[in-house]
Amino acid sequence: MRMLEDLFDRLRPRFGRRPLGFFKPLFDATNNFFFWPKTPTRVAPYIRDPLDVKRYMSMVIVAMAPALVAGVYLFGLRVLVLVLVSYAVGGAVEVAFACLRKEEINEGFLVTGLVFPLILPPGIPIWIAAMGIALGVIIGKELFGGTGRNLFNAALVGRCIVTLGYPKEMARWIEPASRWPGRLLEYATAPAVDAVTAATPLAAAKNSQFADLGSLFWGNVQGSVGETSAACILAGGLLLVFVRVVNWRTTVSILGSFATLGLLLGAIVPGRFGPVGWHMLAGGLLFGAVFMATDPVTGPTTNTAKVIYGILIGAAVLLIRNLTVYVEGMTFAILLGNIAAPALDEAVIRWRARRLRLEA
Amino acid sequence: MHLRRRGGYNVPLAGRPSAEIEALPEPAALYLPLASRRFRFSEVLAADGEAVEAGWVLARDPGHFGVPLLAPRAGTIRLGAAEGHIVLEALKAPGGARPGEEIADKRRRLLDLGAWQHFEDAHTGALPDPAGEPAGVIVSTVRLEPFGVRGDAILRNNLDAFGRGLEQLQSLLQYQPIYLVMPLLESALAEEVRESLRGHAFLQIVTVPLVYPMDGFGLLARRLGLKTDAEHRVWAVRTEGVLAADRALGASRPVLERVIAIGGPAAKQPRHLRAVAGYPIEAIRSGEAAEGARLIADGVLTGAAVEASARGLDAECTGLVALEEPKPRRQLLGWIRPGWGRQSYSRTFLSALRRTFPEAIPAAMRGEARACISCGQCEEVCPSRLMPHIIHKYLYAGAIDDAERLGVSRCTRCGLCAYVCPSKIELMEEFARAEEQLAEERRHAAEAAAAAGREAAQ
Repeated sequence: MRMLEDLFDRLRPRFGRRPLGFFKPLFDATNNFFFWPKTPTRVAPYIRDPLDVKRYMSMVIVAMAPALVAGVYLFGLRVLVLVLVSYAVGGAVEVAFACLRKEEINEGFLVTGLVFPLILPPGIPIWIAAMGIALGVIIGKELFGGTGRNLFNAALVGRCIVTLGYPKEMARWIEPASRWPGRLLEYATAPAVDAVTAATPLAAAKNSQFADLGSLFWGNVQGSVGETSAACILAGGLLLVFVRVVNWRTTVSILGSFATLGLLLGAIVPGRFGPVGWHMLAGGLLFGAVFMATDPVTGPTTNTAKVIYGILIGAAVLLIRNLTVYVEGMTFAILLGNIAAPALDEAVIRWRARRLRLEA
Repeated sequence: MHLRRRGGYNVPLAGRPSAEIEALPEPAALYLPLASRRFRFSEVLAADGEAVEAGWVLARDPGHFGVPLLAPRAGTIRLGAAEGHIVLEALKAPGGARPGEEIADKRRRLLDLGAWQHFEDAHTGALPDPAGEPAGVIVSTVRLEPFGVRGDAILRNNLDAFGRGLEQLQSLLQYQPIYLVMPLLESALAEEVRESLRGHAFLQIVTVPLVYPMDGFGLLARRLGLKTDAEHRVWAVRTEGVLAADRALGASRPVLERVIAIGGPAAKQPRHLRAVAGYPIEAIRSGEAAEGARLIADGVLTGAAVEASARGLDAECTGLVALEEPKPRRQLLGWIRPGWGRQSYSRTFLSALRRTFPEAIPAAMRGEARACISCGQCEEVCPSRLMPHIIHKYLYAGAIDDAERLGVSRCTRCGLCAYVCPSKIELMEEFARAEEQLAEERRHAAEAAAAAGREAAQ
């Protein structure tokens, strides 16, 4: 390992000048990936917490691992191909923009690159997935100035684009494995027919056919790669809340508002709204509430605004799912929340500033 | 009265000084710096080659009410022997510091005998006007930043003097309250302190939780609801200052020695030392700290690194922290290791499953600088209930007025936001600079208003 470190140290000056200088962000990212930087502190405080953005983001990836494993088990090795393609294409876009901007490569793409395949139907053509992540990262993130400045969740922008552009391909669900060892050794493809033969639980629910709760909980239903297994998502969510990488307020308020409003409206207009408990396990609600709405960049930054943001998303999902032609509403709900987030923040900040003035 | 915890965090730094107080060996010469954290002793009164007695005034700071730099020992003055220092050679044995000439004005005596330097303005940390009428006085026996002088170490054998010093303080005031800040814990010493102060009706005891920075003077002054204006500031002083007041006002003797704490992971033997201003830094460095360590004066979170040009302890130093410089070899895949032995404010390391333990934290950033990811840790840890990440974004965009609206001036510079920031943003430094700029703007505005007033009068 000393050899590798020495190699990096020898190469470093070369990336400080032409012709390799253009790739300096890539070199720095690789170097710092392998070897933790040892910059001395310059000003007080002279000691720092060991948490850095790499570790912070890696926690999200660790938390998504159960959902990914469940996806591979249920839908086969094709899922891994999707993940690899997403990382390769999304990473290439990120590196290219970082080099052009002469900025450091941000770890955020490690999360985006994994989230994206997990919210795709497992049978989607690979090229559509590749295009989706590329467009999502470029339009959703890089055009806004990169990680930290984007308004919308890049993975959701990508998904939104391919959903609108390729509705048929976005319905290529794969029948989940039902017996051990699942599809761990299988490269399953969707039936080549375009017809949606077997619907996802949410689509079936529109015809009043409800999958049983056990299947929804463990995940052997049709759906996007990572969203079907409530158990695995909850495990990841608990980890994220424990390590305090996601703010529990967002997740809890989404689920809380969904449940409260669902029960309330269900009581007022009987028959129009699906069973709340069932709905909470079905579709992308949990996955979105745990892994996507909690994205600190595209969500609001103040705690109060986080709660309002969650309530907004939860209510939007409920209304979209039950009152519109769409069977799933999480993508739109979170994007809607993203739009509202800056305004919510501004309102909370103004309120806080006024209180500060009163206190002073 | 008890103040509840709000934000805050105890950094688990190894090397907490023990309560022992030991004397340093007598040095051959003293190097008295002409500048310290707050003071610039530009008015030099001593002459080259002059023989001085202990307690004589060698220089004064005209910018701070003429705060004196006292000769800690009798000896011979050398000017210009070391850049920025007064050197005192041919030292005589300590002791025999004569009582200074009797100065009738108590406050003048406090200043001239070197006790007033222990006082600070609770809000700004600056030296208060000794002739002013304070809005209140905060006396703190608690020191939570790693590592300042521990109140218990000093109080242990000085309870009587402490009580007398408090009485002296009270004699300077008319009716203003004195708040005595005590730790919220049951200990024999705390009980003894309470017992010995039972008769002092002018004291109001305030207990604080032992979480940094609940002992911060700015924070205390605000939470005690002390109203201040330009004339009526809040005086703040720690245990050492009360003892100094007793010495200066009770015995009319100059305050020449101070206790400093030496701690940190690279300290050979973390403890308290009895030291004098000008004590050679080199001697402390080689005797007390590990090879190649970095010395930080006055607390590892808010202090300043001891510069290479500093030859002697300055007159204000309260403690030294010895930190290890980052090792030259970098750790392979350090960011993804389990981290059983690496503690964090967050719980992203396996050490979250253990109890906290003293850790040898190096003087390193431990990560790369990044854009703010709005994780909210700074807001959570902030004892002043600010939103550092949002203030940072305003300052980044150049919107200093918006930063002011969000209370950047209320920042008490505890440094915790910068400590916990995973994006390694220098929040505290940024806020200090913004505050300087705001102060500048206010000064300009005041001058402009005054000029307009004069014009109108003409």
